[in-house]
Amino acid sequence: MSVRSLIVAAIAVAVAVAFADSSIVVLALPELYGTFDTSIEGVAWVITSYNLMLAVAALLLVFVVHRVRANVLLAGGALVFLGGSIACAFANSIGFLIGARSVQGLGGALLLAGSLPVLAALVGSSARGVAIWTAAGTFGAGMGPALGGILTQAFDWRAIFVAQAPVAGLALLGATGAHVHATLEEGWTSGLRRTTPANAALALVSGALVGALFLGVVLVIDVFGLPPIAGAAVVSAIPVATLLARPVATALPVPLAVGAGTLLLSAGLIGLAFLPSSQLAYTVGSFALCGFGLGLSVPGLSHAVLGGDGIGRKATFTVGVRHLGLVLALAVVAPVLTGDLFEAAEVAELNATAVIVDGEIPATTKVPLALDIRDTIDRVPEGEIPDFTAVFDEHGSTTDATVRAVHDELVAAIEEAVTRGFRSSFLFCAVLAALALIPVAAFRRRLE
Amino acid sequence: MDRRIAVGILVALFVGALALVGIEFANGAADAGALAVRDPCEPRSAFPGQGLDATLQRLVLDGLDGAACELGATREELVLSLSPRSKPDIGWDDEAIERALRAGLLGAIDDAEQRGSLNAIVAALLRQFAERAPVQWLIDGGQGIAGLFD
Repeated sequence: MSVRSLIVAAIAVAVAVAFADSSIVVLALPELYGTFDTSIEGVAWVITSYNLMLAVAALLLVFVVHRVRANVLLAGGALVFLGGSIACAFANSIGFLIGARSVQGLGGALLLAGSLPVLAALVGSSARGVAIWTAAGTFGAGMGPALGGILTQAFDWRAIFVAQAPVAGLALLGATGAHVHATLEEGWTSGLRRTTPANAALALVSGALVGALFLGVVLVIDVFGLPPIAGAAVVSAIPVATLLARPVATALPVPLAVGAGTLLLSAGLIGLAFLPSSQLAYTVGSFALCGFGLGLSVPGLSHAVLGGDGIGRKATFTVGVRHLGLVLALAVVAPVLTGDLFEAAEVAELNATAVIVDGEIPATTKVPLALDIRDTIDRVPEGEIPDFTAVFDEHGSTTDATVRAVHDELVAAIEEAVTRGFRSSFLFCAVLAALALIPVAAFRRRLE
Repeated sequence: MDRRIAVGILVALFVGALALVGIEFANGAADAGALAVRDPCEPRSAFPGQGLDATLQRLVLDGLDGAACELGATREELVLSLSPRSKPDIGWDDEAIERALRAGLLGAIDDAEQRGSLNAIVAALLRQFAERAPVQWLIDGGQGIAGLFD
């Protein structure tokens, strides 16, 4: 493999990681919550700060990037991203971590703005550069939660950021070693305005992905109680399906692939909205549909956005728009989900009480069990789902099938009520994906 | 990849998506996680089983239903309101809850006696218990009551 190919690979991996970082810490949220004495909102800002800074920085960069050489932009972005990653790894407070994530977001914006022209110059063709950049970005966006979950389970949440440092370092070396003339030359042109429909669709798809990459992951970890590595295995259905969709997407007309992709993404989110139980087959199937939707829609839309001249500025603009869509969707979903989960907790309490009261176990077991359950609930921090295994074990669930049946029914009642609390948010995201069809259908000729 | 194969895969994916959502609804997705408590004023199937434990549980559950019906709450809300640490607002003070609970238990004892589930002596003893025992003792002492008859 030539040095040039290695540099291309290093930059492509850095692009994938910069996109993956939008959702890479989702599976580590419970660990972050435990490490820092903070609130749910505080932990959520670890995700939001990166995406918000990246969106704002990228949209501002659109107006100035033509004054800077792409190599310099890429090197500067990799350096800032490297510094931000190291700072995240050594964070000792939630405030510091949020600040370091913002620095990472700034680095990510610079890195993504400079990477496409450099890639195009390295491979000698804008079309090939766009293909590599789009594939890396699409796969990276899908693999974020799974990658973060594996690193968290294998090591620690800090490993997520430790692992990113060498990736950024290699991109930095690649940017400084790539002796190519790559610029982001043009100003605000009509070509950029023509990308508005595809960018609008990308923003809506990015917003819809909040359902799969954030809500779906939180559901699997916090409600179904899977450990990070098991959660990563379930969530990996998204990047696997994204990869499988690639040959299908290339064989279809772009408008058809994009339209079908948005509908499949919407269908996957509807699947997540109507999970009848915590059986993982439903969740994996829904995630796979989301992954196929992502793999079919995003490459076609990205190619539509990045076609023609001036790929650097177009890439910067679309990065900003995509992350803006994600941040806006998060801003809508967060309060909706909080309110719904508050109501779901009340329903879960009443349904769980019904399970205990109606449980076909002797009163001599039922009454002390109910009192111990009450004590367990009292000890659990607000926002967490209690684990009743130990309580039921103390009352004979390991030997008495009737007690075990009550345990299973109780856990199912609570999980189902809380899962239902996610329904409106998933449906909102499904609507966003379906809405992406409007600009796709209205401007389908621009996608061809 | 040939376009026809790609279109075939696309069709299979849409069929799969429809099948997934269809299976979810067939397995109760519409009602999964919804409030599953019943109207305490409506008759419901009796707590199953035989022997004193099951009889006493039937009495207590029927009593709770009667009390909840009188208060306009659900049985589950009433049970939760009895805990000093988790009191859902059911719009009644402690005295009203205690009065309704005693009335509900007495009604359940009367019904059980009329059905022949309790003989007159046990029913009379339980009536005394329901009329005089402190409410918290009624709840926390359930274990002891059942134990008395083991």
